[in-house]
Amino acid sequence: MLFASLGIPMVICLIAFFWIVTMLLTGIGTLSWEYLTTSALQGGIFEMIIGTIYLFLGAAGIAAPVGVLAAVYLVEYAPSGRLTRIIDQAINNLAGVPSIVIGLFGFTLFGRQLGLGISLAAGWLTLALMILPIVIRGSEEAIRMVPTSFKEAALALGATKWEAIRLTTLLAAAPGIVTSVVLGIARVAGETAAILFTSCVIITRGLPKSPLEPVMALAFNMYIKIVARGEPAQNVFGIALVLFFIVVLFAIFAITLRTYYRRKQPWLR
Amino acid sequence: MIGNVKIDIKNLNVWFEDNHVLKDMTLAIKENAVTAVMGPSGCGKTTLIRAINRMNEVIKGSRTSGEIYIGGHNIYDSDTNVYELRRKVGMVFQKPNPLPKSIFENIAFGPKIHNMASGKRRDDIVENSLKEAALWDEVKDRLHDNAFDLSGGQQQRLCIARALAVKPEIILMDEPCSALDPAATAKIEQLIRTLAENYTVIIVTHNMQQASRVSDFTVFLYLGKVIEYDITKDIFEHPKNELTEKYITGEFG
Repeated sequence: MLFASLGIPMVICLIAFFWIVTMLLTGIGTLSWEYLTTSALQGGIFEMIIGTIYLFLGAAGIAAPVGVLAAVYLVEYAPSGRLTRIIDQAINNLAGVPSIVIGLFGFTLFGRQLGLGISLAAGWLTLALMILPIVIRGSEEAIRMVPTSFKEAALALGATKWEAIRLTTLLAAAPGIVTSVVLGIARVAGETAAILFTSCVIITRGLPKSPLEPVMALAFNMYIKIVARGEPAQNVFGIALVLFFIVVLFAIFAITLRTYYRRKQPWLR
Repeated sequence: MIGNVKIDIKNLNVWFEDNHVLKDMTLAIKENAVTAVMGPSGCGKTTLIRAINRMNEVIKGSRTSGEIYIGGHNIYDSDTNVYELRRKVGMVFQKPNPLPKSIFENIAFGPKIHNMASGKRRDDIVENSLKEAALWDEVKDRLHDNAFDLSGGQQQRLCIARALAVKPEIILMDEPCSALDPAATAKIEQLIRTLAENYTVIIVTHNMQQASRVSDFTVFLYLGKVIEYDITKDIFEHPKNELTEKYITGEFG
């Protein structure tokens, strides 16, 4: 009975996983070094790869410091009370907002109100909203797992509260924090709906020269190719494979980082 | 009792939420001596020493009234620099709490945050503090090893060295040996006796033998009040208060 309840879902997941991978691999024929490094104007996907990377790196660059500071505030400074509970709930809710809604929000606030238009910057801000709850929750957990004895030792030596947090707790929580940022990146790397009308266009002339210019992105271009152009399926699967590869790479990177840093957290022994 | 007063405690009250832990306590701690603080669990020993470096404030819901004079200045005055106070009044905790850094960085942490020295002078401070804490010989060849690689007794001596590195005047110790084995305990007791030459030491302990080995004066607390305060030898041999006598003979602990 136990085997059935554990085994059947596992088998289903494995089947689904392999089916997806097999589909993706049908596109492998379209991939070549030239394809990856040639401009879209000449039939390659170079700008899409770089555009995707620009998007998620910039979004992480915004979400990471904001998220970490928010987590520090929530764990170390926030008074227990109604306002804090509301903030807490709001973070949970933000994580549950459908990405298309976030995209619409980004389009309205960043694109129109702030005048950023369809641009890399608008994409950064919009995607940052999606990464934020992941970084906040992950950092909170990492910070809570650090023994309070470190902070207490620092305080007893005459450190200010912020010094004690910065020089002991945050340093010790750094591995967990970094992991949460990487997981946030994995979440948005393939995001389409949020960048649909905040930052992407079908084709650009070369790479964006400033954050106010629009970009091309892998996920967006997959969407365009399927819906608008009626191109052969292999092409799309090829792009999907590249995107899949980037995301998997980040996931592996996250796991490796975590394993490496576990060794450097001797108080967990 | 002869000797200068280093810490003058007057009408000290400490509450944690509704719990009145220290009740109108008045006490004068002598300079360059080891004073043991004893009493049954919950009598306020830890709260008392944490009042001296204002570490009770770190706990949510704590309230303090009264005065503690060190060097003629009330540390609870609004113009007191609490960070400077905690430099002058060092603390060693019950369970050794090294920072997750190397041995060197642990000792150098205090001087760093107080901008006390850099470069060679900081190296000297680290070396001298480790020597003062009788740990130098054991770690001099591995200063950059992680502090958690040390044994429990070594970690505690590291914590003592770390407190000494910022040149305190007073050292507070909260049952520093309770998590250690007898051999490590003996080393630290020996260390405490030598520290008294240059510092004022207050040690909370449950162990009466330890108190008589290590301390010059003993304070006996019960339910947040000072019951008796005298030269250690006299308290153990001729206790004046019935409660003290009961505690010493083990009628309650």
